[in-house]
Amino acid sequence: MTASSDQVTRLLSLVPYLQTVGEAGLDETAERFGVSRKQLLRDLNVIWYCGLPGGYPGDLIEVDFDSVAEGVIRLSNAEFLSRPMRFTPDEAYALLAALQDIRELADAESRAAVDSAIAKLGAVQASGGVAVRARAGSDEVRAALREAVEGRRVVTLVYDAQPGQAATRPTVEPYVIASRDGYGYLQAWSIGAEAWRTYRLDRISAVEATGEMYDWRGQPEPFGAGWLDQRADAALVKLEVKNSAHWITEYFPIVAAKRTRRGWLVTMRVADPAWWRALLLRLGGEVLSVDPPDAAASAREAAREALAAYEALADV
Amino acid sequence: MSDGKSERLLNLTICLLMARHFISKQDVRRTIEGYRGLDDAAFNRLFERDKDELRELGVPLSVGSDDPLFPDDVGYRILRKDFELPPLSFEPAELAVLGLASSVWDAATQADEAKSALAKLRAAGADPDPGRMACLAPNLSAKEPAFAAMWQAMLDRVEVSFDYHGKRRSYQPWAMTHRQGAWYVYGRDLGVGQPRIYRLGRVESDVEAVSGKGAFEPPEVDFEALLAQIEPKGPEGAAVVAIRGEEAGPLRRSGTPVDAPAPPGYSAYRISYAGDVVAELASHGAGVLVLDPPQLRQAVVDHLAAMAGEGER
Repeated sequence: MTASSDQVTRLLSLVPYLQTVGEAGLDETAERFGVSRKQLLRDLNVIWYCGLPGGYPGDLIEVDFDSVAEGVIRLSNAEFLSRPMRFTPDEAYALLAALQDIRELADAESRAAVDSAIAKLGAVQASGGVAVRARAGSDEVRAALREAVEGRRVVTLVYDAQPGQAATRPTVEPYVIASRDGYGYLQAWSIGAEAWRTYRLDRISAVEATGEMYDWRGQPEPFGAGWLDQRADAALVKLEVKNSAHWITEYFPIVAAKRTRRGWLVTMRVADPAWWRALLLRLGGEVLSVDPPDAAASAREAAREALAAYEALADV
Repeated sequence: MSDGKSERLLNLTICLLMARHFISKQDVRRTIEGYRGLDDAAFNRLFERDKDELRELGVPLSVGSDDPLFPDDVGYRILRKDFELPPLSFEPAELAVLGLASSVWDAATQADEAKSALAKLRAAGADPDPGRMACLAPNLSAKEPAFAAMWQAMLDRVEVSFDYHGKRRSYQPWAMTHRQGAWYVYGRDLGVGQPRIYRLGRVESDVEAVSGKGAFEPPEVDFEALLAQIEPKGPEGAAVVAIRGEEAGPLRRSGTPVDAPAPPGYSAYRISYAGDVVAELASHGAGVLVLDPPQLRQAVVDHLAAMAGEGER
């Protein structure tokens, strides 16, 4: 899109908007339309030259520039443009995908609102071809967390650890329920760790009230790009796997992947030994080599422990 | 300056919207101030460009003739019923979720389109309220280089061509879905003559448009069935497993407790599964032991044995 076509799209919404609102604050309108105050003033200047064909003074849209100078927009003589344009497919699809993403984080109550909003929009403009899904745990967990965030309540999470480890019970001050790359997360202040922490919603099995409230603690680091980046203590490992395990390069953040004679050599950073152990156990015989070799010791040990447990089972 | 062009396009829109019948190009030329003083060639060029631009913006420009005797004398108009957003009204809870929608997309183009849609709702009298659901911060990203071109091709119904798994594909993108952080496209692979799902992250070239707009009519897509196809496939089954202490939360929650002999410190659960459950069960090490069926138990033991021996081969 060109700057001018963006402007025309905006003007076609701005003219009916200003008539619907009646008196609109200049700054508020600029914010609503995502433009600077200066751009909005330019837009109003363009509008002022537009109107019914003929070009007589009475045919043009009237903008009261005296009141604009005082920060209030009043627009009249534009009844012929009192409704916005229909959605374009681009708009309808972008909005639908956004609503579906919200739906994945919603609890039962707000999901009903998303569904009815989607149905109303769909009745106006069909836009079927998009579906967004996220893994964001259970309705109960999301509802309890939403209540905790809105009421600033301290809660204890029952949080699954990596495979092979028992669940933990962090007591936290929930800050926001967010999604990133197809997963839902809770960002919260961990009272035990005295730090901001991010918890995956599908690993929270229960949210227990503590009866405590918390005070505003400010904002955590923005949950933006790079939040999953390596920690300083992450170890660099090289893992050679069979071709059939190539999927790990798509599912985990890796440093590099290189074809070898036997399969793939994947370089990755490992911050969490338990996660790494579970990955190796999952891959099993698809692992061809690990460098440094010691990096596989813990998984090997865990496999032997499991085999011993199976043998003991046979004796039961 | 582009303001002059915006003014001309807006006046052209209003002029055609107010027309009671098709109006000829020459009448448009006489009426719109922005076209005055141009020679024939310059006017024709500019008018063609303006028509294209309005259509690009989604303005439904009709071309036709009111005169049955001279059907080739075409004129232009915009039908109000095609142009205006029909009446819509929203409940407060709906406005709260709509208010969030402007901040969901990471991708700039789609973020702008969503904002533009919300601006239209505001212009229609609805007021999406971004503040009411501040407890939620949904985010939708599209990092795949192939995303932008594929998304646009899906919207415009344009056939595309791209490399995938070392092969050139001709393709009609019908629908797209985002799942576990990855975008997938669903449509007809014209070479295979069958519908195919492709993962955008695995597209190996630029996505090239090879047809005009509206080249195909996508069928209704059953997303649940489609998503099931993307899920790992495999035999479905049920098993009884012993889970140690509080480990393996998701597995425990998906199962039902059963009364079966389990080692001390373990409790037994019946689980059902689809796909490669062996690797999943093995990832828990001694935290999860298969009690039944014996074949599954043996498969997990073999899987673990391969890991236990790693490095000694």
